[in-house]
Amino acid sequence: MSDLFDRVVLPVADPDDAAATCEALANYEVGTVVAVHVIEKAGGAPDKASVEQREEYAEKVFDVVRNSLADRVTVETEIVFGTDVADAIFRAADEHEATAIVITPRRGSRWVKLLTGDVAHSLVSETDRPLVVLPDVESFEESDESEVAGGSGSE
Amino acid sequence: MSDEDLAKDLGLVSALAIGVGTMIGAGIFVLPGQAAAAAGPAVALSFVVGGVISLFTALSASELGTAMPKAGGSYYYVNHALGPLFGSIAGWGNWMGLAFASAFYTLGFGDYLASTVPLPALALGPVGLSSLQIGALLAGSAFIAVNYIGAKETGGIQIAIVAILVAILTVFSALGALQADLSTLRPFFPDDTGGVAAVLPATGLVFVSFLGFAKITTVAEELKNPGRNLPIAVVGSVVIVTTMYAIIMVVLMGVINWRQLGPDFTDTPVLDVADIAFGSVGLAGAGIGLLTFAGLLATASSANASILASSRINFAMGRDKLVSPKLNAIHPSFATPYRSIAVTGGLILLFIVIGDVKTLAKAGSVLHLIVYGLLNIALIVMRQADVPEYQPDFTVPLYPIVPIVGAVTSFGLIAFMKPIEIAVSLVFVVGGMLWYFLYARKEVEKQGILSEYILDRSEEMPEPAVSAAGAVAPDGGKYRVFVPLANPEHEKDLITLASAVAKQRGGTVVAAHIVQVPDQTALETARDRVDEFDAESADLLARAERDAETFGVDVETHTILSHRGFEEIFDAARTHDADLTVMGWGPDSHGSPGRVESAMDEVTSEVPCDFLVLRNRGFDPRHILVPTAGGPESDLSAEVVSLLQQEYDSEVTLLYVADEGEEATGTDFLERWADEHDLGDADLRVETGDVETAIETAARDCSLVVLGATERGLLQRLVSGSVVMDVAEDVDCSVILAEKSQTRSLLERLLG
Repeated sequence: MSDLFDRVVLPVADPDDAAATCEALANYEVGTVVAVHVIEKAGGAPDKASVEQREEYAEKVFDVVRNSLADRVTVETEIVFGTDVADAIFRAADEHEATAIVITPRRGSRWVKLLTGDVAHSLVSETDRPLVVLPDVESFEESDESEVAGGSGSE
Repeated sequence: MSDEDLAKDLGLVSALAIGVGTMIGAGIFVLPGQAAAAAGPAVALSFVVGGVISLFTALSASELGTAMPKAGGSYYYVNHALGPLFGSIAGWGNWMGLAFASAFYTLGFGDYLASTVPLPALALGPVGLSSLQIGALLAGSAFIAVNYIGAKETGGIQIAIVAILVAILTVFSALGALQADLSTLRPFFPDDTGGVAAVLPATGLVFVSFLGFAKITTVAEELKNPGRNLPIAVVGSVVIVTTMYAIIMVVLMGVINWRQLGPDFTDTPVLDVADIAFGSVGLAGAGIGLLTFAGLLATASSANASILASSRINFAMGRDKLVSPKLNAIHPSFATPYRSIAVTGGLILLFIVIGDVKTLAKAGSVLHLIVYGLLNIALIVMRQADVPEYQPDFTVPLYPIVPIVGAVTSFGLIAFMKPIEIAVSLVFVVGGMLWYFLYARKEVEKQGILSEYILDRSEEMPEPAVSAAGAVAPDGGKYRVFVPLANPEHEKDLITLASAVAKQRGGTVVAAHIVQVPDQTALETARDRVDEFDAESADLLARAERDAETFGVDVETHTILSHRGFEEIFDAARTHDADLTVMGWGPDSHGSPGRVESAMDEVTSEVPCDFLVLRNRGFDPRHILVPTAGGPESDLSAEVVSLLQQEYDSEVTLLYVADEGEEATGTDFLERWADEHDLGDADLRVETGDVETAIETAARDCSLVVLGATERGLLQRLVSGSVVMDVAEDVDCSVILAEKSQTRSLLERLLG
């Protein structure tokens, strides 16, 4: 199964998301990690936040990934722009010839998902390459509720 | 499409839509009644005057925007060119100006909302809220929520809104023009408003209708081909809205006499005119509905754009450390600058509760006019300072006339506002200044082009300008180590010593090459030929930068041309806000000492910061000898030695020269002194006999001697040569002489 983790694209949205995904990845042997942060564009209207501001934020998120993974795997980072977050992730996966896209389920209420769009859902339904959903280790430990921890059957 | 293309996704039409969409709203939907009452039919002229004033600033903003397509727009240019003091004024002015304007637009929205749906009025204790304010508070909360959550807005919607607005207003004007009667427009300058004299005060009132063109520059970083699109969009949107305003005002007052449009007669002048204009084709109801819809759309898009622009300004201010970066945190789920939006939103709601339409409009205008005036001055500074990075794709025609007229008209229009409106705005200007001095000055590191320009030419510039530039310069709260360089041979050692101290203090190294120009040569001539005059300058500073960077400390470099050598160091240390100066001293350093002893005394008796003078014979801090007899000067040497020890793990020997038979007292003293100065692990050495001989003997085992001046005035004695520093000259290793500053507060420096 090591082929699957040869070159993975890691979409990271915020520092907590990045920390959770990196931690989830800790038990797997991975070749290269390409951390991807998507800056959502309005496509012709001013964006929600300044692009420069979002780029600074992206670097903060990447720092979390580097701090967590850089000592054992090769970490590459890329900021991608797009009006659709899932599309932008697929595009980045194409460009980097990724063997898989790795995500952890993001915590957050249904309301937040409704307002921000359910990216995970788009990723699952539209993907053209393996999509690995790793269990969020922390939230798994925090609650005894058995959350759906799919896709962790490798090893 | 490349990522670069995706990041820059605002085309010309989108940019025009931002400008036009932000501006249209105030002038024709909220203010026509007030405006008509202020100047009668001549108010059409007031709009034209407002448009012309905006045009000058729009041209300047375009040039600055194409040279610096950065988030923050006007604020960024002012801060970059004029420095953080004016940056603070412009930032706060722009931010609060947008908050006032947003409150004003939102009240306009509430007005149209109240005309369609019945809203209750409320009395909350002392605060009575009209139905209009209730509508505005509801709408304002909605706009803020939309921006807080970052509801996805697409370019299509933005363009569609503006297209619909322009279409409705065009039909409205055309139908209105058919019903207009020229005689209704007479007299054009009615006597009861003050005739021609009323035009400019009315311009002050309606100027709020033009706040929007500069908002295009706040998103300049997102524009496609900004070199072309920015100027067209900024100037184009001013021309478009000015034309529309003038035509619509004439139509409004051609259909209904201006007296009946005023607030004494009606709350909804536009709808009254729509009633007649659309009534002529039997569609009165539809016309009123259409114009109400347009009014809601226009005020909403203006308010929305202003809230968005204010968060850009907050971000730019935060990046320059003028406000806490905490304000600009990004929301993990919404990816919006939610705190900035919440704070601005709170202010908008507050202004809606306490302000009335007219005051809000004018306070917003005054603050924007101050920013516009500063922006024009910023352009002049950028052009005059002639910095190589400044390469605008678009340049204003008729420089310097355009920015000068832009600055004069912007500031000039403020004079036509009421004292109370000016006072409200001045509160924020003074607040911005206080904010800088009390909070931001110690945070900010970035200096303006203007003060760099002045400080690098400190000798030619008038003394008050230099000292003012020095006094307001940011210090970033950082420890600044100033290193005047003259002899390339000692560059590395001086920078190494300075960097070691700066590193331990988390500070900055300021390296300056002081080029001494013969008295016969004018400094201006020297500047033009600076490369040939001193070809080493660039190379020397580049090496200094590299050497400092190996320590990982921040470094700044300057070339200072001066007729004076040694004396210049004191002035430069002062103007560059040094906490410590590290300089070399030797036969070939910094030219000949002061020719006039008394002048020299005057300079050196007021040491502007701590001084370390290195008599360099190769910098080697492995084993440091510190002769001490206590006192404030030896505190500085102890401090430096302790920093060097942390950096180099140096071996330290403390030396006390005691009188015969007093050795025990000497040991006691040294033990205590070592403890007090964090040098507990040092070797202690007590000698007797001649002080000089004792030091020189002890120095043979060491690689560096650090000497505190035993009495005030070491530097004086050093340069005047009246007391030969025998020790410094006779030992074989390097010697650092330390002299403490007389501390002067900011207030003293400002007054001194």
